Amino acid sequence: MIGHVGRAYAGLRGATPAANLLLLGVLVGVVLSSGSLAVRAGALGVVLLLAGWSGVPIRTFLRSLRFVLVFAAVLLVAQALSIQEGKPLIEGFPRITDVGLLAGAGMALRFLVILASSFLFVSVVDPDRLAGALIRWGIPYRYGYLLILSLRFVPFFRRELRIVREAQRVRGLRPSVRSLKGIRRAIRYTFVPVLVSGLMRVDSIALSMKGRCFGLYRRRTAPRPERLRAADGIALGFVALLVALAVLAARGGWT
Amino acid sequence: MITGPSGCGKSTLCRAIGGFIPEMIPASIEGEIRVGGCSVRETDSAQIAQQVGYIQQDPDAQICTLRVEREIAFGPENLCLPIEEVRARVDECLSAVGIEHLRERETTDLSGGEKQRLAIASILAMQPKVLLLDEPTANLDPDGARSLFELLRRLREERGVTLVVVEHRIRPLLEMEPRVLVLDRGRLVRRHARERIDARDLGMRIDDETRRPTGERLVRIERLAFGYGEPLFQDLTLDLCREEILGVIGPNGGGKTTLLRLIAGLETPDAGRIERPAAGGIGFVFQHPHHQIFERTVTGELRIDSPETSPGEFERWLAAGRLNGLGGVPPLSLSLGEQRRLTLLTALRRRPVLLLLDEPFIGQDRRNVEWIVSTIRAHCAGGGGVVLVSHDVALVEALADRVLYLGEEPRFGKAVDVFGRLRDEGRTAFLPDFWGDAE
Repeated sequence: MIGHVGRAYAGLRGATPAANLLLLGVLVGVVLSSGSLAVRAGALGVVLLLAGWSGVPIRTFLRSLRFVLVFAAVLLVAQALSIQEGKPLIEGFPRITDVGLLAGAGMALRFLVILASSFLFVSVVDPDRLAGALIRWGIPYRYGYLLILSLRFVPFFRRELRIVREAQRVRGLRPSVRSLKGIRRAIRYTFVPVLVSGLMRVDSIALSMKGRCFGLYRRRTAPRPERLRAADGIALGFVALLVALAVLAARGGWT
Repeated sequence: MITGPSGCGKSTLCRAIGGFIPEMIPASIEGEIRVGGCSVRETDSAQIAQQVGYIQQDPDAQICTLRVEREIAFGPENLCLPIEEVRARVDECLSAVGIEHLRERETTDLSGGEKQRLAIASILAMQPKVLLLDEPTANLDPDGARSLFELLRRLREERGVTLVVVEHRIRPLLEMEPRVLVLDRGRLVRRHARERIDARDLGMRIDDETRRPTGERLVRIERLAFGYGEPLFQDLTLDLCREEILGVIGPNGGGKTTLLRLIAGLETPDAGRIERPAAGGIGFVFQHPHHQIFERTVTGELRIDSPETSPGEFERWLAAGRLNGLGGVPPLSLSLGEQRRLTLLTALRRRPVLLLLDEPFIGQDRRNVEWIVSTIRAHCAGGGGVVLVSHDVALVEALADRVLYLGEEPRFGKAVDVFGRLRDEGRTAFLPDFWGDAE
């Protein structure tokens, strides 16, 4: 949700955390349980469609997943090269078979759907609302706030790391990583200042929370339950579609 | 109002009153603090929090949630208040500090001033009888600081809130006729009755010195354009000569730090060009010193830039920076003011011709401000140039040869001309006489 102000209730952002959690669970469950390539490709299509509908531009979405895409491509190539059973598609070296290619594509798609749907979930679900939902479901509020605080620290650490690197540049420090000593120095010069910033921030936030009676009572006021919106209906529609696809694929023996 | 030199115990006193010492910060305590009849030492700090609200120096560091509305509701929800009461308090506090329009905003997107108001609103929602504010204007521009003082005055008059304020910017607070306590090395050394306070008792004055810049150009910025999405600078042209101090003032988010980053080469202009000394010729002191501290000891930190220097020489340097006897101490255990002086020393070790200083006076007491001022002047006298970013307009006026005001419409020129124009435009919070003597 961080960095997407102004589209607060676009697409899946308008749906309740429960609906989003269910959708994520079904997407992951379907690609793990179904052996059909078509179902996995369909699930990836659904994730991309939902990302676009939720106001996350597809280009930005794919750029954020670039390392996942590279790793999926590596999985595809490794599987295609290592599985030699089946009808050969390319002879000689490398030898690629249809079974190897399908297995590679299946694994890459499974990996992509799981990571992309998780990323979409993190992008569209407001951690505050998720924590509220968790508390309403009976999970102790301290754990709910752990989630919020960890997300609160993501942009903080990113910014701190950038500033520390700039501070090194300004000071003419370029720790070499060619020797063990150099690596130790690089770690100390980069991670120690970032860690110190983090610890200072944790101290201040702990003080701030205590100063507002966090932990004084075993329970705290839970936010009011959220009302259902049209987005919840659409999310549930996609859940039904994915389950139907998986059942049809299993019964029809789709590849 | 509590004032006194750096490290005299102002923040420690606030934390002790709030009950955080020794409960969260271990310390040995003698004597007793009582809040609302209860001994602080024998009461849980969360219980004390229902009577005493503590607002830390950096508002960003005390925000726990991701949305403005949720942040204000955080305290009342911890008190298990009915949800209708929580909502009523959120509405009331948003309106009390004038941030109703920010209700749905993410806390990470707020400006420094907005975060400060949010921090106050989130504490007000607890309905405390006492409000402890630790240097609440340290990160605010003069306009933000002025409106904060107005807000505090209103809270005291309309809600009867008792205010305990640790503050260096004295004059605007004096209009509220506070009791002033002056601390030094953990002891109460002066107590001013309301009717006897004068800013001059507590402030300092920087002697005016005639500087004669040589005219040899050190930095040239030509038709600079830059922005993060929204344009910050458009067609900005200015220069800096050797032996010259350029003071940069303006509202939060006006681009003061960004200008320093552009001059240092940490950002690339969207258009225009910047002539600057080579990278080794620039010393940059960041606003938050811990980003620039890498070694395990203070001496080790100085050694990075001059490994051949003798221990005696280091001691001499440390004494000059008023860090005597701290050579073997871990630098991150120093106070923020000491860390800032250390980063200034390390920047100077590289003998830069251009010094970029981002808010070097925050957290410095009178004697340390004097040391920084004399260091800046010595650097200029040696042929260097300085770009000084500061919210302390009185110090900027006293030091700078030329001033750049970065607001909606930038103003650049001799200090007297720029302040004259700001006066004509009614920007009184950016005028030195609004704040009184420096510090």
